[in-house]
Amino acid sequence: MKKQAKKPFDTSKIPDNLCPIATVHAELKTGDWRAERPVVDREKCVKCATCWVYCPTQCIQEKPNWFEADLTICKGCGVCAHECPHRAISMIEEAEDD
Amino acid sequence: MGIGYNTIAFHADKCDGCGKCVTECARVHSQTDNPAHSRIHVAWDDKAKWAGLALCRQCGEPDCVSACPAGALVKDAYSGVVFWDENRCVDCHLCTLACGYAGIVCNPETGRVVKCDMCNQDPACVKACPREALEFKKGAQLFNQWGDLEDLVVPGLSSCLGCNSELVVRHTLRRIGPDTVVATPPGCVAGVGAVGVNGITSLKTPVFHPLLTNTASMLAGARRYYNRIGRDVTMLAFGGDGGTADVGFQSLSGAAERGEQMIYLCIDNEGYMNTGVQRSGTTPYGSWTSTTPVGKALKGKTRDAKPMPLIMVMHGCEYVATASTAYMDDYYAKLDKAVKAAKHGMAYIHIFSPCPTGWRFPPKLLIEAARTAVQANLVPLWEYEHAKGDIEFTYSPEHHIPVDEYLKLIGKYRHLDQEQVDYIQKKADRNIAQLNKFTLHQEITTGG
Repeated sequence: MKKQAKKPFDTSKIPDNLCPIATVHAELKTGDWRAERPVVDREKCVKCATCWVYCPTQCIQEKPNWFEADLTICKGCGVCAHECPHRAISMIEEAEDD
Repeated sequence: MGIGYNTIAFHADKCDGCGKCVTECARVHSQTDNPAHSRIHVAWDDKAKWAGLALCRQCGEPDCVSACPAGALVKDAYSGVVFWDENRCVDCHLCTLACGYAGIVCNPETGRVVKCDMCNQDPACVKACPREALEFKKGAQLFNQWGDLEDLVVPGLSSCLGCNSELVVRHTLRRIGPDTVVATPPGCVAGVGAVGVNGITSLKTPVFHPLLTNTASMLAGARRYYNRIGRDVTMLAFGGDGGTADVGFQSLSGAAERGEQMIYLCIDNEGYMNTGVQRSGTTPYGSWTSTTPVGKALKGKTRDAKPMPLIMVMHGCEYVATASTAYMDDYYAKLDKAVKAAKHGMAYIHIFSPCPTGWRFPPKLLIEAARTAVQANLVPLWEYEHAKGDIEFTYSPEHHIPVDEYLKLIGKYRHLDQEQVDYIQKKADRNIAQLNKFTLHQEITTGG
């Protein structure tokens, strides 16, 4: 992963009495919301990256021979499963005791 | 750096078993029409109207390769294609047994195996299909070019499931890069936390929260400051349709007329989704919203949507385009042009943005909705470059599907009667006819 973002200035020099400037990045673990989980069938995945293109949360991660969702972020919308041209992704209900 | 591979998708519901792909494949690879030489086969059940496809999928972990005792099958790491070496093959046909998809089969005429080689990434079968049942998906090219770059939006935004705005924001910033100042007026993009609160932000670029009314004028001022200190920084607005076509229109119109240098992106989800699904100026005719309800007499919105992209063309913007996230490669190409145009004047992109929550449809159908609306000519994809002076379609409106195909997907149109559907069809046809009048190519340059 190539880092793109850079700190525009030395954040320690921002005076406290200035209008608030956000310098901390929020991370929300939206995986908590999920009711259904995408499960990738590695045999069927051909690495066409269609899931990566359309995943609204952009949580699809590349593995050696397949792609899969990062379950700490995935909200379970099911777009990847619906769009997968080889039906390699199925949505499985999250069970309480899993 | 990872790599993805192009693939051929098969839409069984569009296939009528005509077999043109089969004969075209045989013609290209063996110069005959004999289907025995074809690497693609279609099973068609006339009674059930059911189609099945037998074609090599170029598997990620191909069973044929591991079954081959002679090393005649090799998966190419660059293109992803499983290549067959006819000199090494010992004709044992074990691969045909190992493959669960009938993707590699024995040619009865020659006694040797045949398999798809993707025609050097330009498959003939896809071009031969008259019903677009075969589709060559090139999303992997976007991934290979851009997938390695850091997402400039933090993981996890509090947007709804299947939010198109989130998809737009992430892809746009990945393409445009960190030298960007982002404005997010009140609306979903700001509401999901992109702009942040109390010293915490969700974008890794500078971002600010203008009023609904002054997005374009604030960005214009920021850009003029950067011009003065000699830095080339892209100004980018993520406006909603309300913040663009209604409340923010005055400042946008002024900035467009003055030719301020910025990319103004209108994420059009056809209403005020962030505040409870009220109608906006771009809500289309017939839509249910909380302020255009459906009852005994009321049948949704009675007025047509404002043709916002055309209004911006009339302003003489440097670059104007419409886009849909279903056609992501088209969107990336338009962003390329917008970035260049924004160095001289205003680039305006109008993105069709289906909203599962406000439009009442399942989140998984997000891209399906974005695609069908384009195919039904309700969201024609085109671009306008001021120097050329004409509108060019980037998706041909000629072979369109009926508007009904799109309307039936979306809950906010569930109440429509036939008369209303007919009106929407006529309106779509007229929009295309109107756009066609703008396709006259007349190059001019300004006097100074």
